[in-house]
Amino acid sequence: MSHAWRPVFVVLAVVAAIVVMRVILVPSDFTAKDGDYKYQWHRLSAEQVSKDFTVKHRGRDFCGQCHPNHIEKMKDSGHQNIQCENCHVMYEPAKKSHPINLKEDFGYLLNIGIDRSRELCKRCHAELSYRPKTYTSSKGTEKFKQIDPTKHNPGIECAMCHDVHSAGFKTAAK
Amino acid sequence: MEEHLAHGALWTIKEGFTYPNEYIYWTIHIVVYPYITGLVAGAFVLSSMYHVFGKEELKPVAKFSLVFSFALLLMATSPLMLHLTQVFNSINMILTPHFYSAIAAFTVVYLTYMAIVLAEIWFVFRPYIVEQAKEKKGLLGLLYNAMTLGSFDVSEKALQTDHKIIKILAAVGIPAAAFLHGYVGFIFGSVKTVPLWKTPLMPFIFLMSAIISGVSGCIVTYIVGMSLKRNFICGASIRSMCKVLVWFLVAAIVLEGIDIIFHAYTAEEFWSIMSELLFQRFAFKMLVVQWLIGMILPLILLLLPRLSMLRAFISATLVLIGVFTMRWDVVIGGQSMSKSLAGFLTYDMPIIPHNMESFLEGPIPITVLLIMPLVLLFIFNKVLPVFTEVFNEEDCGFTEGLLSGKDHAKH
Amino acid sequence: MSLSRRELLKMGLLAVCGTVIPLSALEILKPEAAASLIRPYSEHKRWAFVVDTTKCVGCGMCVKACKLENEIPFNIDVQRTWVERYVQLKNGDVLIDSPHGARNGYIKNDPQGKEINEAEVAKGIFVPKLCNQCEKPSCVQVCPVGATYKTSDGVVLVDKGWCIGCGYCINNCPYLARFFSPVTNTADKCTFCYHRITKGLNTACMDACAFGARKIGMLNDPNSEVAKIISTERVSVLKPEYGNEPQVFYIGLDAIVR
Repeated sequence: MSHAWRPVFVVLAVVAAIVVMRVILVPSDFTAKDGDYKYQWHRLSAEQVSKDFTVKHRGRDFCGQCHPNHIEKMKDSGHQNIQCENCHVMYEPAKKSHPINLKEDFGYLLNIGIDRSRELCKRCHAELSYRPKTYTSSKGTEKFKQIDPTKHNPGIECAMCHDVHSAGFKTAAK
Repeated sequence: MEEHLAHGALWTIKEGFTYPNEYIYWTIHIVVYPYITGLVAGAFVLSSMYHVFGKEELKPVAKFSLVFSFALLLMATSPLMLHLTQVFNSINMILTPHFYSAIAAFTVVYLTYMAIVLAEIWFVFRPYIVEQAKEKKGLLGLLYNAMTLGSFDVSEKALQTDHKIIKILAAVGIPAAAFLHGYVGFIFGSVKTVPLWKTPLMPFIFLMSAIISGVSGCIVTYIVGMSLKRNFICGASIRSMCKVLVWFLVAAIVLEGIDIIFHAYTAEEFWSIMSELLFQRFAFKMLVVQWLIGMILPLILLLLPRLSMLRAFISATLVLIGVFTMRWDVVIGGQSMSKSLAGFLTYDMPIIPHNMESFLEGPIPITVLLIMPLVLLFIFNKVLPVFTEVFNEEDCGFTEGLLSGKDHAKH
Repeated sequence: MSLSRRELLKMGLLAVCGTVIPLSALEILKPEAAASLIRPYSEHKRWAFVVDTTKCVGCGMCVKACKLENEIPFNIDVQRTWVERYVQLKNGDVLIDSPHGARNGYIKNDPQGKEINEAEVAKGIFVPKLCNQCEKPSCVQVCPVGATYKTSDGVVLVDKGWCIGCGYCINNCPYLARFFSPVTNTADKCTFCYHRITKGLNTACMDACAFGARKIGMLNDPNSEVAKIISTERVSVLKPEYGNEPQVFYIGLDAIVR
């Protein structure tokens, strides 16, 4: 046997080590699904991980369990398409103000509170020349009320005069 | 609350309209990675010039450049490891490679090339290893014994076989080295979202710059290493290396030039932002350092008559700087143009580390990494005779005589 | 035994091939895999999205909902969905911005932070963006380890436990829909709220949109509104030139949209 074979044996040993490592370490469910090696080469169990992610926004159906009055009020209003979370979810946990611990009692993970800032309402109602001037509700196409925040009662909370849930004026609602 | 940033936000300055998720994701590590693999490929090609094409005057540098190539190769993966955000998952590259991805072949290309280089080193240094294994005792003796791989056959016949195999390995190694680096060019050239990278010329541009940087790296390191050991340096070897350098410099200039001219001429949608990059934002780095100082000036220096050792050294150093800048311009420049074509991202490397991320992305790890191949070379030199005086002055004079004789014959 | 050059080459070649081709690579030789090279389209139903830019008012509620639903830290500037604003002035200048992905909405006429007089504005448009869940996703193609993939129903997902964080997918997405998650430090992207749509719910962004600018549904499903819109109305897609076959269809795009 010539000495020249020896590096070949080293290479073969490395290849064997890689093959053994692959057999031990590659997850059994790692495969090309539907034979699609280009786009579906993955661990099948990973799909379930993505499916099992917790749902957080649960909307009116969830909130309505305790607050049916508010849901009822909104039903025919201009705000009928707005989900509770749009205004009530607080991304800073410190601002959370819901009296009941939703996380422990209901498995509801978002922080709920009340945001009365003008900034929130301006996201839709500040007038911009290129902001659509109508919107669609169950009643068909409606005029979209927009104001110039610098002129429209600056410095005052919108909820002073406006009833947010019925999308009307507070006095009118009473 | 601790101020968290998105990965990339720390070193990216955004201007104009850039997409909200857009940052410079490939940073200094990805600049250094092609630089090092380029040096690997260039150094190997140089050593093969002697083994395959029988360029006698390169004999003194053949062994050195082979070992230098190996030292660089060992460090070639480290910038990638620094770059990955999930280093511990990097084993997945071997476990479940996805060969539709250009990156996936890296382990394969890298290991194949590693096998070729290692085998060639073994065959080249075998007589020395066997001799040392018989002589040395203790730990060093054990090391040499292990390095013999159990074969002590240094008969005339065995050495002849070795010689043949070395020639084959050196020949196979050239396409492998070219592939290793051309492939790095392909990784960039195939990113369809970055207009500066997306050109079929990219593998060849990278290859040419790889060879010029590798040859220059060998010239610089060889001259420094030999001078430190106070060994005689044969001028014929240096001149021969410079000749190789000149040819590939010309090729690099042509290819990179064509690339820019083509973009300017076709003036596609992205040309307005690309020309702003080339001629304003990256004008100094690209035109002055990469082109003038890194390619044109060394070319002139090398072409001037009566090339001295110092001039060769200076030209090679300039080429090394130029190629590093070229890697920077390609990697960072490419990502500097927002994919919206309406904004710019400026790379601002975090110099002073204040947390793990800024340390890894800063200059310290990368400096260590660039010095490491030299440290490895120093260590290898303790074990194997890398910087040896193959030619004494007489041999050198003889080779020079041969060379000039050849030249006379041509005229 | 003496070694001829031929034998050496043969052995060498075998050894190289052995190293070169891990078993997984042989997947590509299976007949069904070979078939997928020729016929890469899936014929069965797949998820698709419709964005009606004429209805978008730029409130950014979708961005907020998405970030909270998918646990993308709110104050960090990466997002799975975002809203861009394109404002063309009467002098022809186009101003584009998307401050913090519009998670706080657009409340002023201040594109790129410059206050603009309403009288100077020729036209403006809000464009919500999200992952296009391409039929031929270049991000999936370039993942070296199979950590991102397309599901059978057409959604591109990331396997965060397998991702090595090389960023190749991020650089290969023409839409910049991908980013590094500040939570897991791996690639992350819009999943069409895969955890919701597979339970029969709408995506969080669609739920949060009070104006009906976003719709999700199944292609090739006669009952789906999305399929109806795509097959009967004039829709367009973003950056079709990349060949990814994006599956988010837009109504009311403009030449200034990028």
